Amino acid sequence: MSDFLLNWLINIPGFAAPFALAALGLIITERAGVLNLGAEGFMLVGALAGVGAMLNGSAPLLALGGSVVAGMLLGLLFAVMVASLRINHVISGLALVFFAQALVSFIASAERWNNKAIAGLEPVFLGQDVVIFAVPVLTLAVLWLLNKTRFGLSLRAVGENPGAADAAGIDVTAMRFAAIVIGAGLIGLAGGYLTVAVSRIWVDTVVGGRGWIAIALVIFARWHPWRAVLGAVLFGCIEALIPRIAATGADVPRYFLQMTPYLATLGVMIWAALRGSDRWAQPAALGQHHIREERD
Amino acid sequence: MSSTELTDTGHETVAATPPATRLRMVPLLEVRQSVSERLRIGVYVISLLVAAALSVALLAWSGVAPSDLGREIATTAFSSPRALGSVLVRTAPLVIAGLATAIAFRANFWNIGLEGQMILGAIFASAVAIYDIGPENGRVVTMALAACLGGMLWIAGPGLLKQRLGINEVITTLLLNYVAFNLLLHMVYGPWKDPVSAFPHTEQYETFERLPMLGWLNLNWALPLAVGLALILWWIMSFSRVGYLLDLMSSNARMAGAVGVPVAGLTVAAILGSGAVGGLTGFAISAGVEFRMTQDFFSGYLFSGVLIAFLGRNHPLGVVVVAFFMAVLLLVGQSLQVFFGVPFALVQLIQAIFITCVAASEFFLTYRMHWRQAA
Amino acid sequence: MTDTLALSSVSKSFGGFRALDTVDFVARAGEVHALLGENGAGKSTLMNIACGLYAPDEGHVAIDGKTVRISGARDAAARGIGMVHQHFKLVPAFSVLENIMLFNPGRSPSEVASKAQDLARQMGFEISLSDKAGTLGVAEQQRIEILKVLLAGARIVILDEPTAVLSPEEGRMLMGLVRKLAEAGSAVILVTHKLHEALHHSDRITVMRGGRKISETTPEGMDPASLTTLIVGEQIIEKPQLSKAVGPIEVELENVTLSGESGRKGLVDVSFRVRRGEIYGVAGVSGNGQNELSAAIMGLSFPSSGRIGMNGLGDVSKRGPGYRRRHGLGCIPVDRYSHGLAGRISVTDNYAVNGAMAGAYGGWGYFKRGLAQAAAREAVAAYDVQGVRSLGQRAGLLSGGNAQKLVIAREFEGAPRVVLAHSPSRGLDVRAGAAVHDRLRAARDRGAAVILISDDLDEIMLLSDRIGVLNSGRLTREFKAPAERGDIGAAMVSHE
Repeated sequence: MSDFLLNWLINIPGFAAPFALAALGLIITERAGVLNLGAEGFMLVGALAGVGAMLNGSAPLLALGGSVVAGMLLGLLFAVMVASLRINHVISGLALVFFAQALVSFIASAERWNNKAIAGLEPVFLGQDVVIFAVPVLTLAVLWLLNKTRFGLSLRAVGENPGAADAAGIDVTAMRFAAIVIGAGLIGLAGGYLTVAVSRIWVDTVVGGRGWIAIALVIFARWHPWRAVLGAVLFGCIEALIPRIAATGADVPRYFLQMTPYLATLGVMIWAALRGSDRWAQPAALGQHHIREERD
Repeated sequence: MSSTELTDTGHETVAATPPATRLRMVPLLEVRQSVSERLRIGVYVISLLVAAALSVALLAWSGVAPSDLGREIATTAFSSPRALGSVLVRTAPLVIAGLATAIAFRANFWNIGLEGQMILGAIFASAVAIYDIGPENGRVVTMALAACLGGMLWIAGPGLLKQRLGINEVITTLLLNYVAFNLLLHMVYGPWKDPVSAFPHTEQYETFERLPMLGWLNLNWALPLAVGLALILWWIMSFSRVGYLLDLMSSNARMAGAVGVPVAGLTVAAILGSGAVGGLTGFAISAGVEFRMTQDFFSGYLFSGVLIAFLGRNHPLGVVVVAFFMAVLLLVGQSLQVFFGVPFALVQLIQAIFITCVAASEFFLTYRMHWRQAA
Repeated sequence: MTDTLALSSVSKSFGGFRALDTVDFVARAGEVHALLGENGAGKSTLMNIACGLYAPDEGHVAIDGKTVRISGARDAAARGIGMVHQHFKLVPAFSVLENIMLFNPGRSPSEVASKAQDLARQMGFEISLSDKAGTLGVAEQQRIEILKVLLAGARIVILDEPTAVLSPEEGRMLMGLVRKLAEAGSAVILVTHKLHEALHHSDRITVMRGGRKISETTPEGMDPASLTTLIVGEQIIEKPQLSKAVGPIEVELENVTLSGESGRKGLVDVSFRVRRGEIYGVAGVSGNGQNELSAAIMGLSFPSSGRIGMNGLGDVSKRGPGYRRRHGLGCIPVDRYSHGLAGRISVTDNYAVNGAMAGAYGGWGYFKRGLAQAAAREAVAAYDVQGVRSLGQRAGLLSGGNAQKLVIAREFEGAPRVVLAHSPSRGLDVRAGAAVHDRLRAARDRGAAVILISDDLDEIMLLSDRIGVLNSGRLTREFKAPAERGDIGAAMVSHE
């Protein structure tokens, strides 16, 4: 039993980290008022970039850097659609996910990266790798960026009241562009971590809806970084438990076990909604475009 | 005049260099007050052409010359009645999938759970087939109705959560796809595994559990079902009071509620309708194409459904047209995979290019751009 | 005295519409300059050019005698121009300090905090920097707005319709503050359509009409009548006409209690009765329960206790809008674009909804568009809705006055027994407002019971036969017309 517990505990951070990183990226984007349904897509390109770099002889940390860059590049496309062209945020997010799914599947099969094992990121301390220890640091950095800097103040103003930000001389489009690209980089890193550190292999379904779960997590966390990390740990617990229960040979139908993260996400969303709304939680201009009124 | 204004028809020149002047010009957006039908169609057609050009270029880059592509399309889809028949067989479920998505979109409900609803539809239909529910001569109708019920049940949760608690339906419907998929795997690897072949799919449906053949080409009743459904929905959307009220609601739901339109009732009806048609899509594939429930029969339909509804402008007849071209694209993609070794994901990539281009074109319908001098 | 701000021969067009036509305007340090005009006269466009949001097509802007080109809000702030918008540019979720910081880049929070406190004290008020802006009252929010532009170094302060949202008392206090600003050396521009503010609180008055400057004058020798003539170009003077025949009770609220949204007070024990042939005015400073009262009468929210009786129907307080409308309720909602019209669909479709729900244009299976169109054509003519080029045109394209006429045409179609009108002339010019008032009087005179909720006391005084005062969600006083304006105003702000 204690083996089971230890084995479980040691695996939780690895499963929690992608959720935490993706949630942090989402918080940055959404605090600027951009509804980001593209998380799954950013994770996919990040995950593939990580595998691709590893298969081409890159060091694991460098591969993760590639994931960040890949996320940011796709972020540029999303930023053009949402911030510059002001296309509906829902349609843009869905189109982006579809685009990313097709793109990674195409590249992976063209480059024959499917089902090839890679070396992966090694633990440094307590069975945990360096990214795990970076997560709290990154969380603090995001908090500092949002709450202690001029950039963060402007970013949040854009997400709360773009008209007021505009009147204060803040370039709303530029702020949203920046928020999307930075956020996409973090979400790309989350995807890269999934392949480079966790699965150590590429299959098209490797992300498996974790981007969507992260979106739900952010709602649950009311756009607050620490609460998002807490939620990520909760989901890490669930995900780390599934293979361990299966390994004990307990008579639980396998596919029902695999439903649990998704059902848990639904549960978390219902709980967050039932608990009642915190008036200031959701960025007030989330999903809204800003256009300066031209007439009186 | 120091600022130059672009006219309605000048939208193509927006990306071009600003008017020649020594002052630096910056773009200034203005919300269009009205959009003429001509501009709407023009922008739509141009965005399709841009997407098509990008797709051809992408294919050429992957080793399929435009001439080869043209020949592939001609042979796959139009070389013989039989080829056309294959396209139409593929078209039918795509039409139904597009309609399922379009119904929800018309009511401002982002149903991204088509695959889950298809799976539940197929599971319910298969249950009717496997447990021999109802008389044999009406079995296939029972299966269709059961499929509708399954799809409705699967969308009812997200619908309720959206209406009652305001929970974002994009996420809930999508998450339920994963739940449904695991349920499907449980069934086909567990209780419903084919006893004959021991493969992970259900045993084959009996002849009276399949959609009957039309007796023309290789077509079965799925196509008339799809087209009939499209016509009925066309009537409802365009000529009935329901369609009128849905228009009113999607333009301003608060106003509709204030003047006594039963907003909640109509929305719920549209959501359940969308789920029912989603379930029917699953039935159309398992009872009309594969004659059993396989473990990946639904794959790709979510994406196609959204794309078809979106490109078809949520119009039932538009859905039929787009679904036909989508079927051509899928068949051509399969044949390119065989003869040119092009990954099938390229077809998805082309779909994504189309949806992105058409979405991006909305910009030109929503905004007008001015150039204004910067200081 | 040099002109702190001078706009010379400024013109600006939008599309084909000439919003400003060679306008000259100056503001001087130490002076309050009132800018008067109807909606669409070009006041806002002129001020948006002054603060750099628009570039003029022709003409130029000079500050302290030097021609400048203002590139945007930040540049304007750097040049000492500060604008307090009618719709505040505050972030409700931010603290007061964060809001001020947003407008004052490059300074540390502690510096901004101490300067803000100092300045507030000089102006004669207290602020709590840690409060969330969204929790403050409108008058406090406005002070934050003024504070934030002053801290950013504004010497030219533009106030756009600043008293529109204030109670009479708060308005008086603001005018005192405005005078203080001028005495401290600022050039203050007061954009307004309230004549008494221009007459009593300014040093100079500019009147605009149709994009042109009509007159520049001093308040001496002007009176309300002469100013009105300048503003509208002709004299429109409405006079109260009391009801001639009051009938039996048509609608009755009894101890209606309703909780407001997110912690607001809502309604507490509100009771009043309205008879046939009578206009019952509900006066009050906005935010004292008007929206909740309106929603309760329309059927959009149900009271937690109390009853709403309609003649012959009994209690309708738990019935939805559809039921009440079928039985003779017509509503002119406060925001015609949010609850009155659907802007993206046609004039016909907007008009036809009552008839469609009643089955006048066919059953559920078939909507007879031709019939609906014919009915809409008739109504558009009968209610003089201008600017309808075709009935298929989007309703969102109508001007405010015509949009309101379309709402009234639909709501008055079945000659409703009970009419609710919530601030029906808000945002309309004098002429359009008078037309709306005529419709309400006509409805009363044919025997309807009219409930008029308005935060514009002039409108209440002009139309009502009886007046109730809504204060903190309670109906605290009732008056019979004609009543003293001062008494009603006092009841609106008293804290009993």
